[in-house]
Amino acid sequence: MKRYLFAAAALLLAPIATARAETVLNVGMAAADIGQIDPHRATSTQDKPVVSWMFNGLVRFKPGSASLEALEPDLAESWEKSADGKTWIFHLRKGVKFHGDWGEMTAEDVVYSLKRAGDSKTSSFAADYSVMESIEAVDPYTVKIVLKKPIPALLGLVANYHGGNIVSKKAAEALGADFRTKPVGTGPFQVVDYKSNESLTFAANPAYFRGVPKIDKIVYRFIPADASRDLAFSSGELDIVYGRQDQRWVERFSKEPNTVVEVVKPAELSILHLNTTMKPLDDKRVRQAVAYAVDRAQIAGFKGASTAVPAISVVPSGYLGTDEQAKLYPHDIAKAKALLAEAGYPNGVTIKVIQTSLPTMLNSMQIVQSQLKKAGIDLQLEVVDHQTFHARIRKDESGAVYYAAARFPVADVYLRQFFHSAATVGTPTAVTNFSHCAVADKEIDAAAIEPDAAKQKDLWKVAQAKVIDDVCAVPLYEQLQVWARKTNVDYGYEFQGAIHLGPVVTELTNKK
Amino acid sequence: MFRFVIKRLLVAIPTLWAVLTTVFVLIRVVPGDPTIIILGDQASEAAREALREKLGLAKPILSQYFDFLWQVLHGDLGRSLATNRPIVDDVLSVLPFTIELTLASLLVGAVIGIPLGVLAAERRDGFADWFARIFSLAGVSFPAFVSGILLLMVFSVELRWFPVISTANTADPIERLRALVLPAINLGLLMVAYVTRVTRSGMLKALGEDYVRTARSKGLGRRLVVWRHAFPNVLVPIVTVVGLYLGVLIGNAVLTEIVFNRPGIGKLIVTALNQRDYTLLQGLMVITAFAIVLANILTDLTYGLVDPRVKTS
Repeated sequence: MKRYLFAAAALLLAPIATARAETVLNVGMAAADIGQIDPHRATSTQDKPVVSWMFNGLVRFKPGSASLEALEPDLAESWEKSADGKTWIFHLRKGVKFHGDWGEMTAEDVVYSLKRAGDSKTSSFAADYSVMESIEAVDPYTVKIVLKKPIPALLGLVANYHGGNIVSKKAAEALGADFRTKPVGTGPFQVVDYKSNESLTFAANPAYFRGVPKIDKIVYRFIPADASRDLAFSSGELDIVYGRQDQRWVERFSKEPNTVVEVVKPAELSILHLNTTMKPLDDKRVRQAVAYAVDRAQIAGFKGASTAVPAISVVPSGYLGTDEQAKLYPHDIAKAKALLAEAGYPNGVTIKVIQTSLPTMLNSMQIVQSQLKKAGIDLQLEVVDHQTFHARIRKDESGAVYYAAARFPVADVYLRQFFHSAATVGTPTAVTNFSHCAVADKEIDAAAIEPDAAKQKDLWKVAQAKVIDDVCAVPLYEQLQVWARKTNVDYGYEFQGAIHLGPVVTELTNKK
Repeated sequence: MFRFVIKRLLVAIPTLWAVLTTVFVLIRVVPGDPTIIILGDQASEAAREALREKLGLAKPILSQYFDFLWQVLHGDLGRSLATNRPIVDDVLSVLPFTIELTLASLLVGAVIGIPLGVLAAERRDGFADWFARIFSLAGVSFPAFVSGILLLMVFSVELRWFPVISTANTADPIERLRALVLPAINLGLLMVAYVTRVTRSGMLKALGEDYVRTARSKGLGRRLVVWRHAFPNVLVPIVTVVGLYLGVLIGNAVLTEIVFNRPGIGKLIVTALNQRDYTLLQGLMVITAFAIVLANILTDLTYGLVDPRVKTS
């Protein structure tokens, strides 16, 4: 009898003894749930990192980098462009398999994906791709893209970012609406499970073309409460956690055992847009007074030296075309007061502002408010919830708009969305030009189609100088992103930048 | 009883209709634009307009309203504006967790609150009474997110009895129960407070009645007097409070669900509100309203069980 029992026990235990322990990476995100994981629809902060685990582009941002100058081959092995910069040929890597049984990735999938990215019915980034005249498969491993006009960064459009992510044509067509929740790509991980309001689980793609990932499984947990997320990280239930962009948080977690805190780019640039059509800001001297009254160093200092730096231009630092030496108005209260008096407001001015209640944005604005008060400029804040704020500032209701944003890292995008007259709020083509700025249209347009890289940078420089000089907006500070990991997690690269707003988990990422 | 339930359900129809209409109007009065969530903040106004058209948000408000009612009448709650997932799926996937949490906290409330209330009434102005009064005051006034964090710090981080991020959504029943303990206590504290108060005041009144005095003078034991003679009279107010506060409990479940990171209706409501996901919000409200109506019917039925004077037929 005893012998049988032993045998039974041995049988039961056998699978446990032989199975290798799974390497599971637990990632904690500050969100209640996922937004969308269809790469052509993923726009929220919590969506972007996971898209980078599942998909590839023709080229990719070097893991750990957020710079367009550090793109490297991904699904394409090599590429060439015509002299006029309008025709691009990409040679694809052979033998790349899609997740599951969706077969090999070929030129047909690339053509399908880029067209899908350009269709507003299936993509949130359609406008970016409208510049593509034609996309065709020359043969199964060659793709030809013809542009209507040369653009500043075509490689950016076919990188593993937003619409550049390549999806499986067969899967997208077969799965229909379900593709949005179970998208199929070629990346190191594939989504295997979704628990609403709780987690997304990814499994390693054993057929990944760069090699089998060292991590077997990623559990991406949605933990909206800051305190709970921090506690879960401290107790060791999370390996990687989305950090708070807050000096005290960085200091506290830097001291925790077995913890590495990383502060990374791209920075989110906070700008105060001044409505140049509303009194009293329609007077340039009043706008200049605002610019002189702002003390950037103080704002950055208040937000925290580890995570914030003073702004350097009206485009974030590190973008292709940012003027790192732009001449901003220095802090000078006396000059601000003199300008107000000259404009006919010796007793100061009042500006009505619609402001979001989002704490990080609200407290920055309160610093600005107190700085401007010293010069006699009274910002009257009407504080509303974040969605209301977004809706109302787009109706051109605010005298000044505090806006924080990171964009695709090329000056063209930032300038075009915030300072080109076509993007002015209240028009059909409106994006986020809250100031009604129109002084640099010519340079922005010319730079976009300038084939010579040096001349292009010069044009962007002039555009920034004009926007700054006319005070369409006052740049304030740049906020870096914060992530923390346990020391036993090795990303497999140096984590300095996160174009995907989070760490990329690659085949080399490991947990010991 | 069957006829009673049917009658109550019929009466519930106007209530539900009023809730639907209020919800429909309210979320459209609040400014905000779901297209910002769906398209991100880089899309042009033209693209937003096209999307509004597609989502039916560009239609006149009245026709949106009738479309909505028509859909609900057909049992179709539509798809989420933000994620395009069917709302019924979204809601059904989290509903069991909310029901589980609510029932568990009701249990906590009854198991702790009733004895505490009885004890407090018996020892009026004594130590037990003071303790019960302070405890119930704290229970009502302590915000759920503070008590939740405290519970987590003590039982999860220090003692490590429970995980911080509980996996409620699991097939393993032990794991699921473990995930339920702290949230149920946290939400239950509120219920304990209400139940203690009602029990205490009800018992005070009952213990002063003539029949209790008679029972005592007969020489009956303390336990018999309290539990057999006095306590049954307090059951009706307790059931009333429990039924009434079921709605409050669902509201408070939001905070508990967020702190303990449990899936649930409350958390879904917050997400939907933040995203101005009109259709999801509407669906959630319909279901919550229906749940509260159902809870009230159950409460009424329970009266019949605890009080023979109440007839439900």
